[in-house]
Amino acid sequence: MIEITPRSSAGWKAMLAAYVLALFLGLATSSLLILASGASVADGFGALYEGAFGSRDAIMQSLVAATPLVFTGLATVTAFRAEIWSIGQEGQMFAGAMCGYWVSLYLGGTTALIAVPVIIAAAMMGGAGLGGFCGWLKTRFQVNEIISTVMLNYIVIYLLSFLLAGGPWTAEGSTSYHQTPVLAENFRLPLLLEDVKLHIGFVLALIAAAACWIIIRKTPLGFEIRALGFNPTALRFKGVNVARTVLIVMCLSGALSALAGVSEIFGVNYRLRGDVMTGLGFTGIIVGMIGGLNPIGAVIAALLFGALANGSLYMSVLSDIPPSLVPAMQGILLLFVLGAAVLVRYRVRFGKRADV
Amino acid sequence: MNTPTLQARGLSKSFGPVRANHDISFEVEAGELLCLFGENGAGKSTLSACLTGLYPPDSGKILLNGERLRLSSAADAIRKGIGLVHQHFVLVPDFTVLENIVIGSERGAIVRYAEAEAKLRRICETYEIDIEPNALVEDLSVGEQQWAELLKALYFDAKVLILDEPTATLDIENSAKLFRIMDKLKADGVALILISHFLDEVMQADKVAVLRQGEMVGIKRTSETTPEELTRMMVGRDLKPQVREATPVGAPRLVLENVTVAGQGQVPALDSATLTVHSGEILGIAGVAGNGQNPLMEVIAGVRRAVSGRISLDGVDIGAMDARAIKDLGLGHIPDDRFIQGLVRELSIEENLILGDHRDSFARRGFLDFYKIRENATRLIKAFRISAPSPETLVRNLSGGNAQRVILAREKRLATKVLLANQPTRGLDVGVIEYIYMRLLEKRAEGVSVLIASSELEDLMNLCDRIGVLFQGRLMGIVETEKTTLEEIGLLMAGRPLEDAA
Amino acid sequence: MSELLSPEILMSIMIASIGVATVILLAALGELVTERSGIWNMGVEGTMLSGCLIAYLVMAGTGSPLVAALVAMVAGLAVGVLIGFMTITLRVDHFVTGLGFNLLASGLTLFWFRSYVDGAKPPSYSTIDKAPIPGLSEIPVIGPILFDQHVLTYIAFLGVPVIAFFLRRTAYGLETRAAGENPQFLEAKGLSVATRQYSAVLFGSALTALGGAFLLLAFADQFRPDISGGRGWLAIVAVIAGNWRPGRTMIAVLIFAILDSVAVHAQGVGVDVPYQFFLMLPYVASILLLVMIRSRSGQPAKLGVPYLRH
Repeated sequence: MIEITPRSSAGWKAMLAAYVLALFLGLATSSLLILASGASVADGFGALYEGAFGSRDAIMQSLVAATPLVFTGLATVTAFRAEIWSIGQEGQMFAGAMCGYWVSLYLGGTTALIAVPVIIAAAMMGGAGLGGFCGWLKTRFQVNEIISTVMLNYIVIYLLSFLLAGGPWTAEGSTSYHQTPVLAENFRLPLLLEDVKLHIGFVLALIAAAACWIIIRKTPLGFEIRALGFNPTALRFKGVNVARTVLIVMCLSGALSALAGVSEIFGVNYRLRGDVMTGLGFTGIIVGMIGGLNPIGAVIAALLFGALANGSLYMSVLSDIPPSLVPAMQGILLLFVLGAAVLVRYRVRFGKRADV
Repeated sequence: MNTPTLQARGLSKSFGPVRANHDISFEVEAGELLCLFGENGAGKSTLSACLTGLYPPDSGKILLNGERLRLSSAADAIRKGIGLVHQHFVLVPDFTVLENIVIGSERGAIVRYAEAEAKLRRICETYEIDIEPNALVEDLSVGEQQWAELLKALYFDAKVLILDEPTATLDIENSAKLFRIMDKLKADGVALILISHFLDEVMQADKVAVLRQGEMVGIKRTSETTPEELTRMMVGRDLKPQVREATPVGAPRLVLENVTVAGQGQVPALDSATLTVHSGEILGIAGVAGNGQNPLMEVIAGVRRAVSGRISLDGVDIGAMDARAIKDLGLGHIPDDRFIQGLVRELSIEENLILGDHRDSFARRGFLDFYKIRENATRLIKAFRISAPSPETLVRNLSGGNAQRVILAREKRLATKVLLANQPTRGLDVGVIEYIYMRLLEKRAEGVSVLIASSELEDLMNLCDRIGVLFQGRLMGIVETEKTTLEEIGLLMAGRPLEDAA
Repeated sequence: MSELLSPEILMSIMIASIGVATVILLAALGELVTERSGIWNMGVEGTMLSGCLIAYLVMAGTGSPLVAALVAMVAGLAVGVLIGFMTITLRVDHFVTGLGFNLLASGLTLFWFRSYVDGAKPPSYSTIDKAPIPGLSEIPVIGPILFDQHVLTYIAFLGVPVIAFFLRRTAYGLETRAAGENPQFLEAKGLSVATRQYSAVLFGSALTALGGAFLLLAFADQFRPDISGGRGWLAIVAVIAGNWRPGRTMIAVLIFAILDSVAVHAQGVGVDVPYQFFLMLPYVASILLLVMIRSRSGQPAKLGVPYLRH
């Protein structure tokens, strides 16, 4: 029989040990997966590492890959901290990209100095709108936010499919590709490093992470977000408008996810297309949770996962392992981290109860 | 001399470093009522848990009719004839009374109700309990739910019956009925153990075993002792009665006129309540918990809206204001459920101390003022003698008494005009209770209007200038403490208006 | 648009929707029992997807739909053990566990499928046959709709009254409900809360995986990574919209299934409105249903609350 009792406090050493254990177990299980699929573990991890960190180019590419994950990870942190289980990062990301693109249709030849900020603002409003809508459904109609955000994910994706597959936004002559025409130069996010296409989105992501950290730790709003996650009743008794706080959190989360969309479409691909963004929202959930629902942790997790994603392409070329190992690894890692987090918060004892 | 039905010898149980029970011995005969008397935290609940198989004692023996008893589980205890009537009902509201009783002992796959219902009706007749077996528990009144809880134990032919604070939620009429049922059980040869901290109930038992801080202080026959002696044994010293100075009552400050708060369904939770609290006065609200105290406190504090009526503070109409605005006017509110309504367990003491004020007094230019927060916490921890390693300690790790001190510290600072206290001493030991009452009297001396709701009538008589009684959401009357008696208030609590008092 | 309303198309829509409903209904009934015991299993989508993949792989190995379905159910049991262990024993938050599992399942199934296929074209199998009931299936209109379906469809719909009976009249069913309403009640009677919750989760997961297997065996000729397409989520919505009662849950499932079927037929028939808007219908409907049906009176009191013995 397993006895679980809460610990009174968890030192940071215990947390670190738990994370290291989780990481180790996750890698071990992933190795088993690789072996089961008939490939060599050394080849697999070796290629993964090469592709992620093997050269300056590789490292920069990993940063590019990490950028959208920072945004969706932060979106997760913001919402989950308040125990608002928004799973809408995917749909809000798409919505952000779509709003940004829609605005760009009206901007013509406006200089990038104005166009880019406008596009970013429009995207953030789109994401915030979607998130806020789900927040409104929750506070006004008690609609569970997990369900509303998941449903809206599907709705947004179908909407995008309509727009791109022969719909109004489809590029000429490419009905089978489901994409828009290439974006004009003045709409693209400025690059930090020309050769590896590291764009300012990366810097924006770091700024966003710092802003989230400051808000959560140092402002009254952050205080309310944390308290909301633990005990909304006590807040209500103190006259805090819980519904308003929920709406703010959902809008914030939506805006952050939207930035991931901007980053991928206006910073990397220069075309609005669905397939390049797929999965970044859900990976962001894993990033946020593995990061311990902490903005700094989310950045670190995002960098790790960006590196994994980047390396996986190289790995699939060099070894027999399909790139989809990485999503599997991420899921495994998540479950071990969740289990480890429990070990930190509770003391686990095995054995039968004593007889008298 | 018959073997006593139940004997405990040297029972001890510890939870980590905490010694909940230490070397406890007593015995109960068939047909005898033993009362376990002690304040909260003395170890009564742990003892009853050991006796009913919930956890095994660390050491010691339990003997049933002279034979050593080894209980492996609660089901085992029920099978051996030891029944427990829980303090907080353990019923499933969604099930009928019959289902609540019968589930868990049915050996077959499909529940055979006919036999069980017949047996239940027989028991109800024997003990004159008026309850419909096929009614859903959620549709029953609190008193009826208590009978359902009692029937759970009676149904299984308990030879030993332990009742844990059974009258806490009952009004005077039902409490008396419960004691009549206990008399019948005694006549039928059942050994009864009553856990209580109410003196008048204790004196109705045959024997009293007094517990203090996990140890058995002594066992006395009630015919050979007095309430004062028992209290002294329970607390370990003489209790100082609160000294309430006669202060001139000030101007009316908090005024409610015909305030009604909606309840679930047709019955209002608070029905046309009218009262006035003057500055420098303590007004007590007596009544069994659940008769409207919560809606009353919450509507004044701004947590709930009134459906009709007028509430004013110093002349200002506060009926439409939210809790934060009312707090700004100088109102403090100690809520009923300290861990759910008053505190955020996962936050630290200093964070809980600024809860509600985090945007106002403790924020500067959009950011939290950490220096001020820390300074506030250090000062209050010292002033209110909150026992904790540091201001960063999570409230989750505090005892009930310390947690209440945190709430008290926070609300006392805010309460410059009005202080609402809803069951502030529930579940706390005498030391903390004294402390809280002293602080309330301090506020009274400062000219603050204090409104306190409590089920401890004796405390209210000591503390309050006037006492009002709530019964099923209606204020039955407000009397001056000096000029009233416990009997008069008892009648009001039972729902009889003042005119009926002979 | 009017082509959709022709009698033949309407019949086809209705017949197909009963089949689609089976998939969601199996998962919804399983999830209903799980939630009545107090466990919010959000991993339904991932479990269904796992059932799809396992059924496909076993078909590839044995060619027997029956074995495929059974093995899928066993896989569902394994998932139930995992989710149960995390929520009941470790007391990890229910939502987090379920969501985490979904992510794990989507990653693992994708990896496993791609490894299996290994660049080649995935093998495909013919879908299983229906089992029309002789005599009844010839009744005009309702005959083909109700009685010309797969065996599993009959079983799934019969499951509705069976599960209702189980929850209301059997001892174990009532005990399971107690775990979700007031676990202290079971503890006071000396009954194990964990046992009842584990059995509910295992039952629910096995049923969901079976639904996934059926989706593959009856409607698809091969596995695709996105084959479950949100149907697991619709099952969860159906339970909420059905106020945790089997009969009403079935009605919600039918609504979703009909809309799903309409969407598929719209794509085939070719209507003026872009087909994607039809595909959105089940998801829009689910939100509308939740907005309209505000009553959560059937929600188990301790749903989602990890149970700690004192």
